[in-house]
Amino acid sequence: MKRLFVALVLCISLTGCEGDFNQLNPIQPKKPTVNAERPLVNIPMALRQENWIGNQREGSCVHATMISLMRWQGRTHLANKWKRTYANGEWPEGLASKFDREGVRYAYTDKGDVRFLEWASRTRRGCGITVMGGAHMVALVHLDDKWACLLDNNSISKYKWVSREAVIAEWKASHGWAVTPIYTPAAPKPQ
Amino acid sequence: MKRLLFALCVVLMTSTCFADKVNGVLSEDRVVNLPNDQGKWYVSVVGNANDAQYQTILKWFSQDIPLRKLKAQVHFCPVKSFSSTYEARYAANVKGLPTVRLQNHQGVVIYEAAGKNLPFTPQGLYGALAGSVSKAQRIPILPWRRNHARPCPRPGPCPTPTPGPPDFNLDPEPQPIDDGKAPDFDEAPVQSSLPPLWLMLATLVVSAGAGLAVEWKDIYAKK
Repeated sequence: MKRLFVALVLCISLTGCEGDFNQLNPIQPKKPTVNAERPLVNIPMALRQENWIGNQREGSCVHATMISLMRWQGRTHLANKWKRTYANGEWPEGLASKFDREGVRYAYTDKGDVRFLEWASRTRRGCGITVMGGAHMVALVHLDDKWACLLDNNSISKYKWVSREAVIAEWKASHGWAVTPIYTPAAPKPQ
Repeated sequence: MKRLLFALCVVLMTSTCFADKVNGVLSEDRVVNLPNDQGKWYVSVVGNANDAQYQTILKWFSQDIPLRKLKAQVHFCPVKSFSSTYEARYAANVKGLPTVRLQNHQGVVIYEAAGKNLPFTPQGLYGALAGSVSKAQRIPILPWRRNHARPCPRPGPCPTPTPGPPDFNLDPEPQPIDDGKAPDFDEAPVQSSLPPLWLMLATLVVSAGAGLAVEWKDIYAKK
């Protein structure tokens, strides 16, 4: 009787082993190697807005940067309207009031908070950052633990890779203003 | 006079302290919660703006409830062919137009279909997307829930006629700002990799019976 019982238990415990094997020891599918796009905010050439001189003989670097970022975030018509409407130099309060007037969703810091730059890069939106002591704005299109990548509206044909520390130091010495619209970033290239 | 001055100082100090505590930080910082939506997935709908199929698919994403819900959970990217974004980022990697592509936050393509391979109903498209996601995440649907996955077709409401073609000279409605992650599908209509419950029970009974028979033979045949 004992042997019968043992055989029964064995039978029951062995039943369905084959079916469960994959669940107990799952064969992990080969994970596709993901090479994240670099820079994360890889703005196509045709969407990059070059700086221009406004009617007050001032450069429009802030507006040019915002227009490039709006296009990257799928707001083509807003960007075109912005190009037609606004120009010349800009400062945080002035830009904020224009964004408010036009109903644009945006976020900014003028306190040099690096977390803002990290957020903008992480969420693939990018942001404009002040450089040259606050006299110029460029787009920050990538920031990782070692590198930062800039797109200068005075030279839109190429990206400029700089060490993270150098960019942060330059930005903090330039009033630490960073600003970006908040819409939908373009989808990553397929992996 | 001295006591009056002292009392005045105390009152002023106290009121400053309380103002600090009551109002919190006394600077003019505007506190905003930035969306931590780096984990959101992407749905791209790519096509010719004048193509009826492309317009229909875009309409599905605004009118069909499950697709509309999905749209709110992902970065939704409608892309017109002949646009600069299309030329730079899609022309080289789409198989046809229109295309619907679902990518995870790293850009890995989870679902993609183009042209005639696209389902022709919003329910079909949702099912295909949900199926791809569950396949990618290896989530089997439980046998007793399979019938819930594909509801019986019922006549839908009559579509409201629109006065004219949609205005393609406007940017799409901005999406909600939230902390995103992988989309959450209601039901995933895919076949489970597990055999049905009745088959597992039957196997158990047959195996147990076979074991018993063998043992029975061993014990009583020897006798």
